Amino acid sequence: MTKKQPASPPLSDQSWVLSTLEPDQLVKAKKHLIPRRHFKTPELLILWTLRLYLIFMMAVVAYQVWLAAR
Amino acid sequence: MKFTATQTEAEAEVVITHEDVDRAHDRVRVSDARARRGFSSKARLLWLLAGPGVLVMLGENDGPSMLAYAATGARFGIGFFLPFVVLTFCMAIVVQEMTVRLGAATHRGHAELIFERFGPFWGWFSMIDLGIGNFLTLITEFIAIRAGLGFFGVPAWAAVLLAFVVLYAALMSHRYWTWERITLAAAIFNLIFIPVALLTHPHWHAVSHAFVTWQPLPGFNKDTLLIVLADIGATVTPWMLFFQQSATVDKGMTTKDIRFGRIDTVLGAALASAAAIATILATAPLFAHQMTADNFQAAEFAQALQPIIGRFGASLFALGMVEAGIVAAITISASSAYAFGEVAHKPHSLNLPMGEGKSFYAVLTLCAAAAAAIVLIPGLPLVYVVLIVNVVAVLAMPPALVFLYMLVNDKEIMGDLVSPPWANVLSGAVVFVLTAAGILFGISIIAPNIFAALGGK
Repeated sequence: MTKKQPASPPLSDQSWVLSTLEPDQLVKAKKHLIPRRHFKTPELLILWTLRLYLIFMMAVVAYQVWLAAR
Repeated sequence: MKFTATQTEAEAEVVITHEDVDRAHDRVRVSDARARRGFSSKARLLWLLAGPGVLVMLGENDGPSMLAYAATGARFGIGFFLPFVVLTFCMAIVVQEMTVRLGAATHRGHAELIFERFGPFWGWFSMIDLGIGNFLTLITEFIAIRAGLGFFGVPAWAAVLLAFVVLYAALMSHRYWTWERITLAAAIFNLIFIPVALLTHPHWHAVSHAFVTWQPLPGFNKDTLLIVLADIGATVTPWMLFFQQSATVDKGMTTKDIRFGRIDTVLGAALASAAAIATILATAPLFAHQMTADNFQAAEFAQALQPIIGRFGASLFALGMVEAGIVAAITISASSAYAFGEVAHKPHSLNLPMGEGKSFYAVLTLCAAAAAAIVLIPGLPLVYVVLIVNVVAVLAMPPALVFLYMLVNDKEIMGDLVSPPWANVLSGAVVFVLTAAGILFGISIIAPNIFAALGGK
């Protein structure tokens, strides 16, 4: 016979958990979104260059697989 | 089930979940160990805090990675690739250390941070890269498991089912700590390649010469480049970034634990590089005997080694492949589930009871089940997936690393824990090396004449 898990932690756990974990570690804290950061032009340029690089290289990989499969 | 307490005004707004309570239990043990003095307390602290780093490094010593190392030994023997593999693990340490700092400082997973900080447009790009890479890699893990157990005559369906049962058994405790310890225990079997290497009686003088001089050098050609890419892809891949940061958060590590997180990462890299080097040494006799191993899979390597190291050694090699596949299947499917939960704002923790973490466990199980099912479809040309999966990982790394670089240098979220200049130089060098390797690979495919000219031919 297995021991049944309680449906939720006992209320007495509350202060103990709060004093043990950092406030940001609580599941509830993760519902607060981190403020958005906007990219500068050089950063966007790097990100788009790398994105195009990846798309192009994936096409190259697909071509190589096609060559190998022939 | 959640509840709201009413004890004090501050606490009234706080909702405590099972996940918080489980994590708090883990933190109490860490605090107790930290409060004590002496060597045994430090050792206990390391025992409690080690995990994500060792798991990510040994997890990345997966099916395709071990096959890449085996192919390296069989094609090039003892030489340049021994120190090169150590160098790739140094690159992995540089990259993974950043995820420890990010996780400990922000208490957020990698996908979550990218989505919130940079917006969904870039977040989805990042998730698509991760999703494709993880799924392809998961397929290769089941291929490795099937091939490894195939050496013992286990039918494919039974091999895949066994792997699936092990993966699911590790989840059954619904506690991060237990899952981590079970997976760690399985991951340590990656070192099984060390006795296999010893059975081949390596030429230790040649080994030490290779480490000191990086010689003999391989020729500059397409085959060498493919092995270089496969070996890099065997140590640094996007899923590792997502997994270690999410595991660091799920484990409850804080900024006080970063030093131990670094030790954990270096320890993992040391263990994984020892297994990788052992695999190269284990298959080096195939090079010495001039055996062609171009299209070898796990079972073929074990069969080819049998005349040299006997049935026992070959069995260990095949078991090593099975272990590599199982541990990676566990960690990579966890990485996918963490990322999905973070992006979809669904509960995402291995501390969740099944009822509270339905979507988390469903994604984890479905990813693994789909990959396992694909491996069982007869007639599919799976060999191509194995060949390209590490290459795809190398190609997808530079964009992932730029996000990591920007996050870890973001003073608003990292505070004083932003990367020092030397770390930025190192991570910039890693991005440069990976991009250069990818571009060379592209040239070798679409313009082989130019590639040959680069090699002086």
